Amino acid sequence: MTGKLSCMKKKYLIILVAGACISFISSCETKMPDEKALAAADTVTKVPTASVSKEVLGDIIQSIPSPLEVSFLIKDMGVKYDKESLNSTENISSYNTNYRKALNLGIYSTDLGYANVYGQTQDALYYVNSVSEMADGLNLGQFFDIPTIKRLASNSSNLDSLLLITTTNFEKINEYLRDQDRANLSILILTGGWLEALHLTCEVVKKYPNDALRERIGEQKVILGQLLTLLKYYESDPNIQALVADMTQMQKHYDKVQVSNEYKESTVKEVNGVLQVVDNSVSKIVVTDEDLNNISASSAAIRSKIIN
Amino acid sequence: MKTAIKSLVRLCSGVCFIILLSYSAASAQCDADKYTNKCMEKLTTGYTFMKSYKIDGNGGSKPKVEYSYVFSKGTNYMVTLANKDPELKGMSLSLYDSSRRLVASNKVDNKYFSAIGYTCAATGIYYLTFTFDETQDYCAAAVLGFSSKK
Repeated sequence: MTGKLSCMKKKYLIILVAGACISFISSCETKMPDEKALAAADTVTKVPTASVSKEVLGDIIQSIPSPLEVSFLIKDMGVKYDKESLNSTENISSYNTNYRKALNLGIYSTDLGYANVYGQTQDALYYVNSVSEMADGLNLGQFFDIPTIKRLASNSSNLDSLLLITTTNFEKINEYLRDQDRANLSILILTGGWLEALHLTCEVVKKYPNDALRERIGEQKVILGQLLTLLKYYESDPNIQALVADMTQMQKHYDKVQVSNEYKESTVKEVNGVLQVVDNSVSKIVVTDEDLNNISASSAAIRSKIIN
Repeated sequence: MKTAIKSLVRLCSGVCFIILLSYSAASAQCDADKYTNKCMEKLTTGYTFMKSYKIDGNGGSKPKVEYSYVFSKGTNYMVTLANKDPELKGMSLSLYDSSRRLVASNKVDNKYFSAIGYTCAATGIYYLTFTFDETQDYCAAAVLGFSSKK
């Protein structure tokens, strides 16, 4: 009787352990698709991170604002759509290293958002193809449901759904790359996206001088600082080292931008069930013409190295 | 022989206990995605979705969840929150500026607002701190939207 009981317990144990193993393996498979392919194809070297934890890197990455904010700001100011300012989709064949693919994935993503905000559905579809090609080249294609993205991009009223999908995708990509100690690719994608948004803003200000956009360019000082913090963790990669040098040069121009804040308490009121908070603090950002020209020239030079 | 059987039974019981414990922890995992759509619905017309946040208190072991984001001067932001309670009782959001000064909170006179609008006056890093005040439900979601219109 005892032997039978023991045998049953053994069988039960085997079934439980086998079940647990299958669940564990399938969860790994879900989280890390095509891991071998990605590792094999990556030419951006796997760089040892400094003392920073994965969590801290992740926190900074997710704090970088969406380049889409700038596209909306430009459109809301009544500025016309300018296709010439965007990176041509024809340049795609020259992006043959993971370093350039990641940066241009960011650039094309910003261009896709810009085209979509302006309701330029044909251009948006071209940029979806470019984004898709860059993502495939980095073996990140599995994170993009291209047919759905194309369907949403073909109608600008679907912008929220498109953003939910693309933001969620980017979060999954970040997590995936972070798990593999290759968050450097995430950071390059972010840097490319940010540079393109800065370039678009500088181009608009050149054609239509505007104080709000000039301030917006000056405020990028904060984000440039964040990006440099991230990029410097991967400086042992020669490509990233060169990018850091260029962006540090740009930061020297930004150092001349004066930002002052005077704190005042917020006031609140309820409007249609929403608590509206008005921050009464005052912030001044002083960007001289010289600062603006230097920042604009610097961003154009860095972008040119990336896209040409 | 009896000792060997006893040891095996003990081992089996121990392993089963660990597996069952892991299973119950896994089943209590926070599925915040189901609340994200609720948050999207609460986003007022004119605001564009920007980011979603998973607020997972790990069954109570993590009473505070914090995210940061760079807010821009002159931009209107809206954060919407949702958990299983329609009144969002006990789910608190505090927004701090880069100097860690409290600039906004969704809790006013013991009422928890599920949508909070904030007009940013100074560009910088802001901290969205979510805390589980008076709730046993340690799972929620939030969505951040923006509008550049004045």
